[in-house]
Amino acid sequence: MSIVTVQLGQCGNQIGFEVFDALLSDSHSSQGLCSMRENEAYQASCKERFFSEEENGVPIARAVLVDMEPKVINQTLSKAAQSGQWKYGQHACFCQKQGSGNNWAYGYSVHGPRHEESIMNIIRKEVEKCDSFSGFFIIMSMAGGTGSGLGAFVTQNLEDQYSNSLKMNQIIWPYGTGEVIVQNYNSILTLSHLYRSSDALLLHENDAIHKICAKLMNIKQISFSDINQVLAHQLGSVFQPTYSAESSFHYRRNPLGDLMEHLVPHPEFKMLSVRNIPHMSENSLAYTTFTWAGLLKHLRQMLISNAKMEEGIDRHVRPPLSGLPPLSKMSLNKDLHFNTSIANLVILRGKDVQSADVEGFKDPALYTSWLKPVNAFNVWKTQRAFSKYEKSAVLVSNSQFLVKPLDMIVGKAWNMFASKAYIHQYTKFGIEEEDFLDSFTSLEQVVASYCNL
Amino acid sequence: MSGQRGDWVQTSALWQLLFRVLSPLPAGNALASLALEVQARLVKSALCSQGYPRLALAQLPEDGSQGSRELLLALSWLLARGPVPEQMLAQARVPLGDEMTVCQCEALASPGPPAPHMEAEGPVDVRHVQWLMGKLRFRWRQLVSSQQEQCALLSKLLRTLERENQRLEAVLAWRRSELVFWRWMDTVLGTCAPEVPAAASQPTFLPWVPERGGGELDLAVRELQALEEELQEAVERRRVAWEAKAGGCGRGPEWSAARRASREAVEKELGALQQCWERDGGPAQPHGPHRLVRREDGAAGDRDLRAAVVIRTLRSQEACLEAVLRRLQGQCRQELARLVGALPGLIWIPPPGR
Repeated sequence: MSIVTVQLGQCGNQIGFEVFDALLSDSHSSQGLCSMRENEAYQASCKERFFSEEENGVPIARAVLVDMEPKVINQTLSKAAQSGQWKYGQHACFCQKQGSGNNWAYGYSVHGPRHEESIMNIIRKEVEKCDSFSGFFIIMSMAGGTGSGLGAFVTQNLEDQYSNSLKMNQIIWPYGTGEVIVQNYNSILTLSHLYRSSDALLLHENDAIHKICAKLMNIKQISFSDINQVLAHQLGSVFQPTYSAESSFHYRRNPLGDLMEHLVPHPEFKMLSVRNIPHMSENSLAYTTFTWAGLLKHLRQMLISNAKMEEGIDRHVRPPLSGLPPLSKMSLNKDLHFNTSIANLVILRGKDVQSADVEGFKDPALYTSWLKPVNAFNVWKTQRAFSKYEKSAVLVSNSQFLVKPLDMIVGKAWNMFASKAYIHQYTKFGIEEEDFLDSFTSLEQVVASYCNL
Repeated sequence: MSGQRGDWVQTSALWQLLFRVLSPLPAGNALASLALEVQARLVKSALCSQGYPRLALAQLPEDGSQGSRELLLALSWLLARGPVPEQMLAQARVPLGDEMTVCQCEALASPGPPAPHMEAEGPVDVRHVQWLMGKLRFRWRQLVSSQQEQCALLSKLLRTLERENQRLEAVLAWRRSELVFWRWMDTVLGTCAPEVPAAASQPTFLPWVPERGGGELDLAVRELQALEEELQEAVERRRVAWEAKAGGCGRGPEWSAARRASREAVEKELGALQQCWERDGGPAQPHGPHRLVRREDGAAGDRDLRAAVVIRTLRSQEACLEAVLRRLQGQCRQELARLVGALPGLIWIPPPGR
C-alpha cells in the first residue's frame, strides 16, 4: 500500500529529498546479502510504497512539495532530477513568491486558508494515483514559521478530508540554542495542534543528530545536509520493506498501519522517537564487524538510559526489580533516571537475523504496569541488509524519551508568555491568548500522562 | 499497391504481425520496441525452425521495402497449421475469476487467529482499555482502506476483461470471414512461381543474443551451482544424522511390537479421517487451481473434475465441519453454564437470534 509524503517548508523539503534518495539507493544496492529474487521483491515493495512508475521507467516520488518561497523547492526538484535515478512529479509542487518570516500565526491563519484549495487539490491528485493508499507522511519542523504553522493547518485539513487514512508527522525538534526567538511559542502551538489531528508524531531532535554526526561519523564541519542524511538513514531503516508477521515470504503491505497499531493506539501517548545502531562513517564501516548480541545490548541500554546514540551511554541505569507495585515503581524509576516505555518496536535487518535474540526487550521491568511485554513489544526481522550495514537495528519507541525536552520547552514558552513577550505577532493574525492557554493545557496534560507511567 | 510508401507500411505491418504471432512470450513493452530489422530476422529464424518451405521469404530484405505477398503466404501457412488466434487468446487470457482451488490444504495448515488471552481477575487499568480501543479503531480504518483498494483493483480488472472481450469478438469476426480469406490465398498462391526445393542452400539464422546480459546469465549459473552444492551438503548431513539416530532401531522384539502398535493406531486414525472426508469414495483431490470450463459434450480428461463431484465433496466437508462446530458450541455453552452457576446473583443475557 502506498504512502504519500507531504514535504512542508525548507526543512520538510530538504529532508524529504534525502529520504527518497536514501530509500531508492538502498533498494538499488547490490550488497543486500540476499538472493536476486529476494532483492527484486524488496525493490518492488519499496517502489510500490514510495514511488510511481512512468513509461520510461524513472520512478516518480509520491510526494507533494509545499513552501512559501520557490528557492528550496527548485533546489530540491533539480537535485532529484540530477540523480538520474528518480524524480519528483511535474505538478506536485505548490509555492508562492514570498516567505512568512517565521510567523506561525501567519502560516496557520493566513497562508493556510488562502492556499487551502490549491494545496489540497495537489494532494488529492497524488492520492488518486495510488491503487491502494494507506496514509500520509508529513515532514515539517515545529519551530520555524511556514513549515510549522502551515503544517499544522494542512494536517488538520487532512484529518477532515481523509479521516480514514493514517497520518504520521515527522517533526524536527529544533536546537536548544536555536536562532528563532519565538521558537518555543511555535513549538507548543504546533505540537498541541498536531496532537489533536495526527495519529503519530515521530520526533527527531536536531541536537541528538548533531551529536551523532560529530562523535560517531567524525564529520568536522556539520552541515544541514549531513544532519538530514543521518535522519534519512534512520527513517529508511524503519520504512524499508520488512517481512509480514504471518509469513516470512511476503513483505508486509502496510508498514504504517502495523507500526501505528503497535505503538500509538492510545490517544494520549502519540510521541515516538527513533534510535538507530550502528552509525559510522563509511571508512570505518569496512573494518568493523558486529554481533547481534552486542548491538541489541547497546540498543536496550540506550532505551532504558534515554541515550541518543551508542556512545556515552549511562551504564549505571538498570531496570528496577520487577514485582513492585506500580506507584513505588514509578518513583523509583524517576530516581534512577530510568526511561519507562509504553511500547517498543525493534526492526532488525541483515545477516543471520533469525538468530538475533531480543529477549532483553521483553523484560516487564522496561514497561509500564498496564501493558504486558507480549502486547507492548514487537520485533520485525528481515534478511536483506540495509544500506551497506551488514547488520542494523532500529528502535521505534513510545516512551518517556521526550518528556524532559517537552517539559523544558513548555516551561520556557510559559515564561515568555507570562511577560507577554512577542504575543502581538500572533494576535495580529488571529491566534489569541486563549489559544496559547489551550496549547499549554494540552501539552501539560501530555507531560503528566507520560510522567505517570 | 499504392506505391513505395504504401508498400512499406503493409510490409512492415506484416513483419510485425508475424513477429507477434511467432514470439514465445506474451506482448510486452520490451519486445514491441525492437527494431524492424531485428523483428524480421527473428521471424525468418522462427519460420525456418518450424520448417517453412518457401525460400523466397528467407531472401527478403529486412527493411520492409518489399515482400508483402511472401509474408502474406507465410501468415496463411501458420494459420493453416494450427489455431493461431485461439493460441494467442490463451496466452493473453485473464486468469482472475476464471479459476478456483479445490483442495483445502492451505486453509487447514494455517493456524488461524490466536485465541484471545484472558487475564486473571484483577483491577483493570482504564489506559489498557483505551489502548485496546485504539487498536480496534486502527484495524477499522485499515479495513476501510483495504475496501477502497479492492474497489480500485476491481475496476482495473473490469477494464482488462473488457479488452479481453474485444479480442474474443475479433477472433469470432475472423472465424466468420475465414472462408473468403482462404479462397483469396488460393489465388495469391496461384500467381507465385513454383519453387525448386534446394535444401543445401538454406541460409542459417543465428539466434540474436543481446550484447549485455551475458553477465547476468553467468551470475545466475553460478548462483544455481552454489545452491546445488549447498543442497547436496545439507542432504548428506541429514542422511548421516538420520542413520546415526535410526541405525540401532528396527531390530528386536520390543521394536516390532511398538511398530505394530503405532501402525494400528495410524490405520485407525486414517480410517476415521477417510470416513469423514470421503463419504462417496471419490478420487483423491488434486491440488492447485482449476480452470472453470463449460463443455457441451460432457467429456472429461483424467485430470479433470466434474463440478457435480466437487460440489458433493464440498457439501460433505461442510456437514462434517458443521458437526464439529455444533459440538464445540455445546462445550462452550456447558462451560458458560458452569460459570453462571459459580457466580450467584449474576444475570447473563445471551445475544439475540440463533
